[in-house]
Amino acid sequence: MAVDGVTLDIAAGEFFSLLGPSGCGKTTSLRMIAGFELPDSGRVHVGGRDITDLPVHRRDMGMVFQSYALFPHRTVAENVAFGLRMREVPRPEIGRRVKAALAQVALTGLEERRPGQLSGGQQQRVALARALVVEPPVLLCDEPLGALDRKLRQQMQFELKELQKRLGVTLVFVTHDQEEALAMSDRIAVMNRGRVEQVGAPTEIYERPRTRFVADFIGEINILEEAGQARALRPEKIRLVSVSDARVAGTVETANFLGGSTLYRVRAADGRSLLVRETHAGERAPRGTGDAVGLTWNDSDAVKLES
Amino acid sequence: MSALPNKQPFDAGRAAYLALNVALLFFLLAPIVIVLVFALNPTPYISFPPVGVSLRWFDKFFGSAEFMNALWLSLWVAGCVLVLSILIGGASALALARGNLPGRAFLTAFFMSPLMLPAILTGLALFQSYLLIGIGRPVWGLIMAHTLVAVPYVIRTTLAVLHNFDRRIEEAAAVLGASPVRVFFEVTLPLIRPGVFAGGVFAFIVSFDQFPVSLFLVVPKGETLPVVLFNYMKFDLDGAIAAASMVSILLALSVVLVLERLIGLKAYVKL
Repeated sequence: MAVDGVTLDIAAGEFFSLLGPSGCGKTTSLRMIAGFELPDSGRVHVGGRDITDLPVHRRDMGMVFQSYALFPHRTVAENVAFGLRMREVPRPEIGRRVKAALAQVALTGLEERRPGQLSGGQQQRVALARALVVEPPVLLCDEPLGALDRKLRQQMQFELKELQKRLGVTLVFVTHDQEEALAMSDRIAVMNRGRVEQVGAPTEIYERPRTRFVADFIGEINILEEAGQARALRPEKIRLVSVSDARVAGTVETANFLGGSTLYRVRAADGRSLLVRETHAGERAPRGTGDAVGLTWNDSDAVKLES
Repeated sequence: MSALPNKQPFDAGRAAYLALNVALLFFLLAPIVIVLVFALNPTPYISFPPVGVSLRWFDKFFGSAEFMNALWLSLWVAGCVLVLSILIGGASALALARGNLPGRAFLTAFFMSPLMLPAILTGLALFQSYLLIGIGRPVWGLIMAHTLVAVPYVIRTTLAVLHNFDRRIEEAAAVLGASPVRVFFEVTLPLIRPGVFAGGVFAFIVSFDQFPVSLFLVVPKGETLPVVLFNYMKFDLDGAIAAASMVSILLALSVVLVLERLIGLKAYVKL
């Protein structure tokens, strides 16, 4: 997996996500920051200091792995103490800081357990405490929530975000889960095939995708081709109206009720297939397969894409 | 909760499974039982049923300077082989698994090759080599020969552990500030140690029981226990042989148990 010409400028205290499909180079980029991979060209700077030539163990970073990578032969307390021991922090202080770090992730009382005796969520917290106890200026997370079930993942998303803001640590977060990236990040870099497609705030990435890949990768999208210009239009920006007021008339092919909204696939008269999301904030007028509908949208919502 | 009597219909598969297990245990344990009976029986020949219980053959074994010298030599050699094969085998396995060596499959096969050669050929070949280079048959030559045969066991068990090793654990240690040397001693070594020592147990036993290789490489008055026992059997076949066998079995077992206690082989060698 190679990366090519990736330039990222991450602000201090920022929650920054690298988002993309597997093989897009997001993990490679993260491992370059950590020092596991060396760039053929280009440099890595942290806080104005060039760390490209520093070995991993001198970079003073925190890292959380998807597999947690806890030391199986050591207790929870020993796992968390490891980084402090390497920094030759005096013993009483190690005890104090380990205790505080474990309290921070709500693991008090499990100090003497071994990783094998903990649940996935608890192991995740130990990994987090182990990384944060050394107070690294930068915390690197490689799909840290990927192995958790949905419910727990959502809970950990909130906790991680809150912890990050409270500690003011700069967090670089690798994920292939666009919802996770949108929910947690201050800014996102969407990557594809070793290149950065777009960098921006979640709302910007979602509402103003710059390329076809970004538009397609995040959420549902309609790509409209008009006079050689591709435009991206989110399904929720399309309104269902009477056929007489419509830009495009069509018939409903499928209607998927999603709870808070319904996602329709509409076959337009000209043969195009469009996704339309109707939110159920007000009165709901259900439409079924075969119903004739009219569609309209604002021009400004159809975002021009780079070719 | 009280367990209700479990009335199950006769299950032919289960019965066959039980019978197989009983047969396996019988074939494993019967020779040991026979040796034990022979060792405790006072008559100087194998007789069944035994006519009594006596320790005279153990007395004879422990009272014989020849047997005792051989026993100590065997233990000394096996101890050295244990240490050497752990060092050499552990290091080789690390190099084979981690070293990105060209021709790794070939090298692995090469390191394992002493297992494939008949031990008697290894012994003969070493004997001739030692003669050719003119070193004679020193004890360290014997130790080297045993180590050659024992190292593959350590390589095998260590490679098995390394194969399942999650290297992210080492990376996590490095990010936390551990230099490569510290990563090795704090993380890698403790995690592969059970595999290395499991191989070390095999190495000890391979050396302690080694006959074919030793046959060519021992000198008169400097023979290991298996060789002495073999020579003894050529002329006498009495209970002292059985007593010596019992002592060997118990020694081997205690080495396994001690190592198990010390480093917890439990996960790797089910006792």
